[in-house]
Amino acid sequence: MNYDRPELLDRLAAEYVFGMMSARVRRRFQAIQRALPAAQHAVQAWEQRLTPLARSVPPERPSAAAWEAIDHRTGGQASRPVAPASAWLAWLKPVLGVAFGVVATLGLVRLYPTAMVPVDEIVQARGTLPASYVGLLTDAANNPVVLASSTRHGRTMSIKMLRKVDVPPGKVLQLWALPKEGAAFPLGVVPFEGKGSFQMADTSEKLLSSVPRLAISVENAPARAGAAPAPYLLTGNCVKLW
Amino acid sequence: MPAAKIASADLQQLLARVALGDRVAFRRLYDATASSLFGVALRIVRQRDRAEEVLQDAFINAWNRAAGYQAALSQPMTWLTAIVRNRALDELRSGARHSAESLDDRESGAAPEIEDERANPLGLLEQAADALAIRDCLDAIDGPQRQCLALVYYHGLSHSEVAGHIGSPIGSVKVWLRRGLDKLKRCLERLA
Repeated sequence: MNYDRPELLDRLAAEYVFGMMSARVRRRFQAIQRALPAAQHAVQAWEQRLTPLARSVPPERPSAAAWEAIDHRTGGQASRPVAPASAWLAWLKPVLGVAFGVVATLGLVRLYPTAMVPVDEIVQARGTLPASYVGLLTDAANNPVVLASSTRHGRTMSIKMLRKVDVPPGKVLQLWALPKEGAAFPLGVVPFEGKGSFQMADTSEKLLSSVPRLAISVENAPARAGAAPAPYLLTGNCVKLW
Repeated sequence: MPAAKIASADLQQLLARVALGDRVAFRRLYDATASSLFGVALRIVRQRDRAEEVLQDAFINAWNRAAGYQAALSQPMTWLTAIVRNRALDELRSGARHSAESLDDRESGAAPEIEDERANPLGLLEQAADALAIRDCLDAIDGPQRQCLALVYYHGLSHSEVAGHIGSPIGSVKVWLRRGLDKLKRCLERLA
């Protein structure tokens, strides 16, 4: 199809926003939106037009558990969403965090001493490891393949490929965060070999604070928020390095 | 505070604070919009537990993407509704475990989770038209086209599901939907 034709994009955008597309066509059009700003704009225009229609839907109150899950999954204190009496938790949390970080780091270093070297190199000048999130992804035979690291309040995810990954032409290696609860969400695309980096949608602290595992799948195109991952090729722990 | 009572400008302020990681603002945004958005999700996926999953994913998405929200491009409710509808439609379309569920099952005792009498999608479309003062415009859309549009928008039915539901050939449904959308676009553009 010739997606340069504005009337075609407009019709597809209308069908997408209205919800007429099958799963397969939806995924395809989502990929087109990622690649084509004109498609994105057409979708935004239809979203703008159609939102007033949603206003006639009667509101329904979700259960209290819905907010608790959201709060928990975004790194909040799920059981006390608005309680001011939770001040003691505020200081307990970093203490527990540090304890967990130390234990996890020791475990990781002991398991994969060589894999920790790159992080060490990066921060050698400072003489100390910065607070970071670190993930080590292994293949099915438990060989370390990808080292992913990002400073706690940074948005840049640095990637070191510890060995080359063979990927069919036209495909990408997509890195996913696997939160404790809820669906995996995409973080970015990693190189097939060597080193690389990408910008995340938000800081590591926001995205990864309740993410114990990372995974990589082979995808046709960079995954969008809300997309479902293909089967995982590599998986590994994500730990707090502080 | 229900969504209807909070101004768009206030929601914009809240979103701006959410983008900075302000959890109190996030909670206020949730309190102000969750019921409306949950209604939208429930209408599409038709089961409370699935709709709550959709709502959770959508708010987590909003928390993560708030910094990318551009007030100049869309109203906060437009932005949030789009996130919820997209997530709900993806959930509905990907739901292999529910794919065998027919519309009849949905409307029988199998999913008694929407008890509101206004559940009828055509009724919702007409209410929206009344509220938006586009009634004349909607009246210009033929009955079958209007029925198809309402089934698709409010219940997320696909072409083939609409065809099955109203007992018409899928070819006719596609034509009705396309014409209906064209007319609706002209209607809604008059609003803008």
